Amino acid sequence: MLGYVLRRLLLLIPILFGLSLIVFLFVRALPGGPGIALLGERATAQDLQEIEENLGLDEPLPVQYGRYLKNLATGDLGTSVSTRRPVSEELSRRFPATFELAIAAMIFAIGLGIPLGYIAAKRYQGVLDNASLVMSLIGVSIPVFFLALLLKYVFAVKLGWLPSIGRINILIDLDHPTNFYVLDSILTANWEGLTDSLKHLILPAIALGTIPLAIIARITRAATLDVLSEDYVRTARAKGLDPSIIGRRHVLKNAMLPVVTVIGLQTGLLLTGAILTETVFAWPGLGTLILNAIRFRDYAVLQGGILFFAVLFVLMNLLVDISYAFLNPRIRYR
Amino acid sequence: MSITEAEAAQLAFERPSGLWRDAFERFVRNPAALVGVVLVLVFVLAAIFAPAVAPYEPREQVGVLARNPAGPGDGHIMGLDEQGRDQFSRIVFGLRLSLLVGVVSVLVGLSFGLVFGALAGYLGGRIDFALMRLMDLMLSIPGFLLAIGIVTLLGPGLFQIMFAVGLVQVPTFARLLRGSILGQKEGDYVLAARSVGVPGRRLLLVHILPNSIAPVIVQATLAMATAIIEVAALSFVGLGPQDPGLPELGKMLADNANRLQQSAHLVFFPGLAIVISTLGINLIGDGLREAIDPKLRT
Repeated sequence: MLGYVLRRLLLLIPILFGLSLIVFLFVRALPGGPGIALLGERATAQDLQEIEENLGLDEPLPVQYGRYLKNLATGDLGTSVSTRRPVSEELSRRFPATFELAIAAMIFAIGLGIPLGYIAAKRYQGVLDNASLVMSLIGVSIPVFFLALLLKYVFAVKLGWLPSIGRINILIDLDHPTNFYVLDSILTANWEGLTDSLKHLILPAIALGTIPLAIIARITRAATLDVLSEDYVRTARAKGLDPSIIGRRHVLKNAMLPVVTVIGLQTGLLLTGAILTETVFAWPGLGTLILNAIRFRDYAVLQGGILFFAVLFVLMNLLVDISYAFLNPRIRYR
Repeated sequence: MSITEAEAAQLAFERPSGLWRDAFERFVRNPAALVGVVLVLVFVLAAIFAPAVAPYEPREQVGVLARNPAGPGDGHIMGLDEQGRDQFSRIVFGLRLSLLVGVVSVLVGLSFGLVFGALAGYLGGRIDFALMRLMDLMLSIPGFLLAIGIVTLLGPGLFQIMFAVGLVQVPTFARLLRGSILGQKEGDYVLAARSVGVPGRRLLLVHILPNSIAPVIVQATLAMATAIIEVAALSFVGLGPQDPGLPELGKMLADNANRLQQSAHLVFFPGLAIVISTLGINLIGDGLREAIDPKLRT
């Protein structure tokens, strides 16, 4: 097991190198050359000369790449053209917003998806089962930005139950020790801030969580159906065990393996879904940061953002694989 | 007629039932898949015969300019947009673009993916290793983000986003076909073909590929739905076609997202069009998967 984890960690190294190489080449392939790309079109000749020296653009590519890696290792991702702040600072300031949204979306998806899939399997081919199948099919066919707009229309515009943009009412005074607003409100005992930030979280979380919800429900249903036909379930029934205990201990526990894998994979994909959800709800996270970077040709932020997202994605997948190995000792890893 | 003769006659009447015939029979017995076929038929027919189906030209101004145009009525079943254009006509032409986008993106992804996958699976060794590490690298960047990166390089535009979305699908197809070929390569029929001296290229193209292609077809169907959504999404974030009059569904959504309060129909109908077309394709894809491999039935 430990060997497996170590091997996976070692495999991470070439992937991270490859990623950095892609992002490095990406900036150099941008229209107008990296100097203009990183500084913007209104850069002065002096600025240009400075960055060209800094990046060593007259030197051979391998040397430039080496320098780029050195900068990366010290956490230097360059400076944003539009805000003049270091890219690393922008990323760390925005990350909690996206992460908070992703967690809320996952709580929604798991909390609803597993019971739904389980009940659907128990009532196989019943009304509820078919309804959940149809729902999950629609769930995977609906673009996340359209769903986000629909939710906004119904619950914010028409019914007025929930706020439609931002993370918190700007009139609420909330300190931000962590930039996770829900956590911040709890830490500073600001209950008004807590209810308001939770209210702001609901619609984006549902929009972002619906696709994972559909997929988790489908997988849970399939896995539960598989386990329900196992001999040990029949044996447990035959010896007169309480059906609720069979459900919990025999069925659900064994059905969880594929579900956990899917949950992990979905968590990684949530990061991209967040880009679209954040746009609709004007959520100040990494997604809006990246989109603004595209809009204002802020390539320093764009390359940093892509690298950051990709590394996060890779780490998340690694975590899934490792947790899967822990959960499923039946699988032997070479 | 002797008994043997009778049996022989009866045998001759029984049609040989191959994989594809079985699959077809399972497919037509699947109600969900048939619903998918109907949805896709409506979608494809509307797309192909768009000029005949749409009552107006998609760029033609047929009503008044309005900041917040009123909803359906007055002969326009889906209302007018802010430029006074008939929305139903725009959506019909938008479906045409979506169909084009889905087909082209998947063809891009398929053609690269098939070549890479076939080479890697069939040749093995170093080529396999190099190609698969490249695919791993591409998969390590979330697809939508990779597409954003590619479009940034190529510049915004319809063809650029189709290409980007197709490129993002290459690793999926390559890995799928490679795995499938690796499974087939060990088959007895390949050994038999090789031992009677069938040359390598023919072995791959005529014997191995047709037997490995089933999962790829299923994936290609599902990928088309993904491609339509992803292209709409790229367009939604402003990387799509720059021509303001082009009736692209994602762009229509983006342009009208801030009119949600007064003119929700401008958001509702284009979105619904995307959902219906992708839902149909997904239903067919799922149906195909179940038909080709009933073991996967969920």
